[in-house]
Order: sequence, then structure tokens, then C-alpha cells
Amino acid sequence: MVAALGTLRELAHALEAGTCSAHELVRQSLERAEALEPALGAYLGLRAEAALREAEEADRRRARGAPRSPLDGIPVAVKDNLAIRGEPLSCGSRILRGYVSPFTSTAVAHLERAGLVVVGRTNLDEFAMGSSTEHSCAGPTRNPFDPERTPGGSSGGSAAAVATGSVPAALGSDTGGSVRQPASFCGVVGLKPTYGRVSRLGLVAFASSLDQVGVLARSAEDAALLLGVVAGHDPADSTSLPQPVPDYAAALSGDVSGLRIGIPKEYFPEQGGNAAVFERVRAAVAELVSAGAREVTVSLPHTRHAIATYYLICTAEASSNLARYDGVRYGHRSPRARTLAEMYRRTRSEGFGAEVKRRILLGTFVLSAGYFDAYYRKAQQVRTLIRRDFERAFEHCDLIATPTTPEPAFRLGERERDPVSMYLSDIYTVSVNLAGLPAISVPCGEVGGLPVGLQLIAPPLGEPEVLRAADAYQRRTDWHRRRPAEAA
Amino acid sequence: MPRAGSRYEVVIGLEVHTQLRTRSKLFSEAPVTFGEKPNHAVTPYCLALPGTLPVLNARAVELAIRAGLATHCTVHTHSVFARKNYFYPDLPKGYQISQYEEPICTGGWLEIEVPAAGGEEPQRRRIGITRIHLEEDAGKSIHDESLFGEGTLVDLNRAGVPLLEIVSEPDLRSPEEAGAYLRALRELLRAIEVSEADMEKGQFRCDANVSIRPEGSRELGTRTELKNLNSFRFVEEAIAAEVGRQAEILDAGGRVQQATLLYDPDRRRTRVMRVKENADDYRYFPDPDLVPLRIDPARIEAIRAELPELPEARRARFEAELGLLPREAAALVRNRSLAEYFEAAARAHGDPRAVARFLLRDLLAALGDRQPDETALPPEGLARLLRLVDDGRLTARSARDLLPELLERGGDPEALMRSRGLEAVSDAGALGGVVEEVLREHPGEVASFRAGEQKLLNFLMGQVMRRTRGKADPASVRELLLRRLGQGG
Repeated sequence: MVAALGTLRELAHALEAGTCSAHELVRQSLERAEALEPALGAYLGLRAEAALREAEEADRRRARGAPRSPLDGIPVAVKDNLAIRGEPLSCGSRILRGYVSPFTSTAVAHLERAGLVVVGRTNLDEFAMGSSTEHSCAGPTRNPFDPERTPGGSSGGSAAAVATGSVPAALGSDTGGSVRQPASFCGVVGLKPTYGRVSRLGLVAFASSLDQVGVLARSAEDAALLLGVVAGHDPADSTSLPQPVPDYAAALSGDVSGLRIGIPKEYFPEQGGNAAVFERVRAAVAELVSAGAREVTVSLPHTRHAIATYYLICTAEASSNLARYDGVRYGHRSPRARTLAEMYRRTRSEGFGAEVKRRILLGTFVLSAGYFDAYYRKAQQVRTLIRRDFERAFEHCDLIATPTTPEPAFRLGERERDPVSMYLSDIYTVSVNLAGLPAISVPCGEVGGLPVGLQLIAPPLGEPEVLRAADAYQRRTDWHRRRPAEAA
Repeated sequence: MPRAGSRYEVVIGLEVHTQLRTRSKLFSEAPVTFGEKPNHAVTPYCLALPGTLPVLNARAVELAIRAGLATHCTVHTHSVFARKNYFYPDLPKGYQISQYEEPICTGGWLEIEVPAAGGEEPQRRRIGITRIHLEEDAGKSIHDESLFGEGTLVDLNRAGVPLLEIVSEPDLRSPEEAGAYLRALRELLRAIEVSEADMEKGQFRCDANVSIRPEGSRELGTRTELKNLNSFRFVEEAIAAEVGRQAEILDAGGRVQQATLLYDPDRRRTRVMRVKENADDYRYFPDPDLVPLRIDPARIEAIRAELPELPEARRARFEAELGLLPREAAALVRNRSLAEYFEAAARAHGDPRAVARFLLRDLLAALGDRQPDETALPPEGLARLLRLVDDGRLTARSARDLLPELLERGGDPEALMRSRGLEAVSDAGALGGVVEEVLREHPGEVASFRAGEQKLLNFLMGQVMRRTRGKADPASVRELLLRRLGQGG
């Protein structure tokens, strides 16, 4: 099998030095993806022809001495809920079968402007709803460390593609942990930026107030490089932040001396959860402390309501966001309907999978007259309390450290019949989305041969700080260099 | 029509949707057009393609603020866009972006002129404005078997066009008041250039909430909603018909059911479209794709400073400063173009009351459907025409006769008067000769007049007028005749 690709940094050096061409890299990427694909299920579609053509153009630019950026010509993958002009946009759903987007998302447009070559669209839970990439109409993606386990989700395809080295990095989206949790399960780095840091234009909405485009890569340094490409203000997204984008890679000084790392006492229970996971995370914090950081205890009392709050808000927004899939203008339309009501019912019954239907039903209920105050309005109030918890905690620390998930990757099908247990595994990630904060998941060890992730959370726009701490950790450890056996 | 009027009090509240004068839609750069080919004035956002996002049109906000200030509303520095969720083929996103709990404007009023019976001066009344908010229009569903068999076609050109919804308090007490409110509102919106409010293009639409209650009762009756009233006449007719329908139900001892009705203008009856068992559940919630709308108070003040004079202020000024009668002032400000024309003509002429009378009596009749500023006669020309009358060189009747040509072709009124040979014969010399002639030829009538038959004066005047072919100024003729007859010779 063709070898795994190196990191963004390594590939950029190779292209600069002329030791390889973009065309070679993209071909290697495509060949590796194709070789792994039948078993892995990471991709929903490869753009072989277009990607190779774009790689040749990148090579010509570089030959002229005018590359678009140091990353010009490097292959990447994109979660299939980000629009690319002229490409199918499926969101892993039958209801979008046959749909081709006529426009490109801002995040992907930024990739193109930097010359990065999108080699394929990656698998996901339908409309990014799920934590296992099992809820895709194309079938599940498998965990590269254990094919009987899930890669996490919903950006499981992107995480598996990066972990197996068919691409050095990929874009995902994170509504309640959908970048960080699969990164943790697949032993890669996953960064969810501050809400509004990356434009949502062209990201198919699941829960608009929580959705954020994120990056998956093998190192914090690569995550910094890719975030620098896709971040920035977009007047076409009203929730986009206007602040200028700092040079994230330049923030990676390796220096964490004096950094105060907060440990939320509520997140490290005496009992429950997987003790080995907590042990790895504590060891990772200890590593940073030995590098000069300081550990402080903080409290996030309202995060015990985070799961309930999250599932009230995200289902409410989803029920409305997904109303447009009605069979009238595009995508699937049931051919068997005779009345309008029947067309809606059949189209949506046939087009959506079980998890999406479950969330639409929940969200419709949450917003209904008579329940709105008790559920949606109350959830918004608790959301404010959760945000304030973080604000208070950050008066005492610079970053907050938690496990990304309470347990390593679970088995495929294990939680299909018990959605609530699946929802509960989002315990450490969802409050970050509710508060709109930046957070990263960094590989910090293994339990039973499966990767474990350390989550670092910062105040709004604290991307340089989480990246610096994650990079400092990776300079001292090798966990991020561990590859799954068959992808080695 | 309602025998009910005497025993029941009518309570009406109106919801008006008026299309804002913007070049692009409320949340996308798609153009606002009329008569464009179906589905050609659309962007991916208008089609609700996956991944599209709304961006608020700042111009629409400015127009909403202007409308709020002109109706004495509180313009809120913080308001929220909400999603109104329902499924319909011409609603592409499956929700309409509107404002719900926190609209941009609340708590204002509009002054209307209540038509009065029997030649009395009209009354003026303030009708409360509950709220004004911004929202998107829906597209159009076309059910036309000749085009598409039994199917439905959808045109999304109109989807997302910016609307202002203006909701009145239930302060209106008759179909005529409802009509007066709508006319006043439409004129106001046009005067402040917020909306063209062209009803034929669907830019000004009205829903009416109607209920009746026994005279003297304070409790509101069960209301029904009349949808899609698209002309002033239909609004008044439909409300009258609905009042009649409700009165019949109550008279028969029944109860009015909450319902949505349509008006059938051919049969002059309202027809129940659907009965509301429960209130519709639109599952409103704040749109998470949009941040709350924050408006700088300084911006509100700047817009206030730029507002043109409003019809009611102008009316008050016409009465107080120009000395017009309330009826005259009200009639002039009903039409912005007429009011401005009047002011310019009055300034050029110097006697506002004389100008007002001529405008309301003669000019309006000659204008027909035209606006005065669309004609070839500038206000200064009108002033010159009236001055010819003042100077006794042109009779009022001749001035009226010259209007059609002046409006059509313009030109100098005096030159036109000469070329038509209409210069009044009013100087004592020329007229005196004619008077002497007439007296000479009718000695019998002269004698009878002197004997006390006063009405023969009219006969003699008619003779003089005939000989001058109407160019003589009647007042001068009368004066000359009386003087000569009084001399006894």
C-alpha cells in the first residue's frame, strides 16, 4: 500500500524544496484513500480528476515562483456538509440524493485560495447528528484502531482519513463535540474554534447557534496552519466575528511557564467513567505542569445541566433548519404522494434516517406552544448560566483541561438502541459549544489500545493559547505520532 | 347592510403588509422586481439551498425606523428576528423570518379623518398602532391547470421581499373608518417614501380582525379574520358584509366562531376559509442565524431629522399659517403631490385661500387621474392664471376653460387667454357702451325694473353677457347696470 502522507508542515517543506510535486502528493492521497476505503468508509466521494488537475495547476504556480501559499498543492479532505461548487453535497442523507451545490462554502473557498486541493468528501452522521458516524445513509466509518469500533462522530470520516494518512488534515464541523470527539477516538488533533471564528456560509446547518467549522490534523502545529487558512470575518455570515486573525503558527512558542490550567472539580468524579481515561488526562496535565504550567482547581457547577440544555437547543434549531428538505425544490421527493401533506410526509419519512427524525420530533415538541417556556426558554437561561460558569472559571485560570470523552471509542452498534447513552458521552464537549468557546482535543495516551484525548478549553478567541499549550505538550510527548497498526 | 349598526358596536383592527422600497430583498442581494420571469429574481438563499445564510438589508431597517417615527412609535434600539415555522410550497425555508416578541417599533398612532354625515366638518381621531415589524414575503403558488395539469407551480421571485407589518389597535368602529385609516396610512407611507404601496402590485395588503358587541358593552366579541383584502373598496365592503354576517348570527341567538374568512366580491359575502379550533402553532423562536438588531439612538435621531413634513403636521400648518378651512386643509394634504403644488402656487400667488378654493374646485376636476406635478402647468403658471382673474382680465369661468390646455401643453396663461380672445371686458369704457346699448334696446324692462321688478336685473345682465360672449366680468356688469339704472335716466 502507498505510504501515509506526512504532516502539513512536512509536505510544505517538501514542496518548497522540490523533493516532490503536488501532483505526486494528490495521487498518493487518492491511491491511499482508495486502498483503505472499502474497509474504512471514510469517504463519500473522491474528486480524483478535479484534484489531480488542481494539483497540476498548483505545480505550475510553484514552478512560476508564485504559489498561493506555502500549503499550495497539498491534499486535504472536507466533511460532506460543507458546500463545494459543482460537487454533490449529501450530508450523509438520502434526502439530498442527487443534490449538487451551485456555490462553495467560505471555509472551502479559503482552502482553494491557499491552493489546498480537496481530494474528497468525508463521511458523517446524517446532517452531523450523532457521535459515531453510524447514522450515515452510506454506512458507517470504522475506527482505524479497531474496525469493530466507531471513529466517533459526526466528523468520523475526516478523523479516520487524517488518522490513516490519506490526507494530512481535514475540515469537520463541531456542534456538540463533532470534531473533538472523533479526533479523540482516532488519535488525532481536533480543534473547534470560537463560535463565529470560521464562517458558516456553506456549512449545512444543524444547530445554527452551536455549529462551527473545525479542523482535524496530526499535530497542533498543523491545526494552527489550517485554522489560519479558514478563519476570518465573513460579512455573509451575520454571526461571524470581525476581529482580525492572528498568526496562529507564530503563537507556538513551546513556552507554557506560568500558564494556569484549571481542572473543573465536577469533571473528575471520584467514581464513574473510565478511571484509566482520567488517569491519562491527569498525566497529560502533569506533563504541562512539569513544563512550567500551574494547576488550579475551578468549578463549573451548571455543566451538569449541559447535556439536557444542549439537546433542547440543538433539536429545536434542527427541527427548523431541516424544514427546507421538503421535496419541493431539490433532493429527494417521494414519487408516491398524491396530496401536498402526503408529499411532505412521505418525502421526509423516506429521506431522513431515524436519528434525524428523532431530533426533529424532539425539537418540534420543544418549540411547541405550551412547552416553549418550560423547555426552550429555560434551556436558553441555563445556557447563560453555563457561559457565566466559564467566565468565572477563567478569572482563575488561562485554560481548562478535561477529558474529551469519558471513555475511548465504543463498539459499532453498541449505543444504537440507547440514544441517551450516546448523548451522555458528549458530556465534556457540549458545554464548550453552549458557551461558544475554542477547544482542542489532543491525543494523550491509550486505554486498551485505543486513543484517549485531552481537551483544552480557552476563553473566546483564545485559539493561540490552546494551540500553544497543545503544541508544547506535543513537543514533550509522542502520542500524536502513534498510528493505527494497519495504517502505519 | 347592517340593520345591526344601531344595536351593535363594530370593533375592527387592521394588519397591513406593505412592501418596502428597497432594491434588494430583506436577507439576500436578489433584486426586488415586478413582472420578471418566474424564479429569475432569486439567489441560492431565496431557494433555501443547503448552507445559505441571511444577511439583513440595512436599507429596510432604515425604512422601518422611518415608518415607526412617522407613526409616533417607540423605535427600539434592540429587536429580534424570529422564525415563524410552517410548511408550504411557496415558503422555501419552511419558516418565515419575522419579528415576534421584540419588534422594531411599538406603541404609536395614526391620525385619521372620520367621514362625517351631512356636510359637517370631518372629525379627526387617533388610531393606535400596536406594533410595526419587519418580515420576509413568501413566494407565489400558482394553481393553473392549463399550465401544469393538477399540479402547483411555485414562483419564488417574491420570496424574501421586505415587508413591513403594521398592526393597529382595535380602535376602528366602522368600515368607513377602516377605509379612512388605510387611506391615511397609505398616503403617509408614500409621503415618507417607505413604500410605493401600490395595491394593484400587491404592495399594500390588508387583513382585518372584526368583531361586534352590543352597544355599551365593554367586552370584546369573538373576532374573525378577513384575509387578503386587496382594494380599499373591498376592505369596506368585506367588513360591512362580515359585520352583517356576525349580527345575523347573534340576532339568531348563535355564537360567532373564531375563523379565517375570505371575501367574495361578486356575491358580496364573506365565506369561512377555516375555523380555528386551536390557535395556530408557528413555533416561533429567535433566528439563530441572525444577531439581535441593535440600532444606535443617534441613527434614529438622524432619520427623524430627515423625515419630510408629515401630512398631519402639514394640515395643521395650512390651517394655522395659511388660514385654510379644516376641510380645505384636510383635502389638500390627502395627496402629497397636490399639497406641495398648492404650497408653491400659494407662495407665488399670495392668497392661499383663493388658490386652495380654485385647486379643490376646478383643478382637481381638470386633473382626472393625473397628479399636478405630472402636468405641463407649473404652480407658478397657475398663480399667473389666478392673477389674471384677480385683475378682472379673465373671468373665473374662462380660467376654468383654459385649464385643460394649460395642463396638457403648458405655456403662458396670458398669451393663451389673448390667443383665444378671452380677455375679459371689464373696464368701464368698453363695457359702458354695451350697457348703454342694452338699456336702449329694452326700455320696457328698464321701466319695470325701476317699478320694483328686481329680477329683471338678471335678464339685463344676461343680455350684456351675451353681447360680450362671456368675456365680461359679471361683477363689473352688475355694478355698471345698477349704477345706470339708479340714475333714473
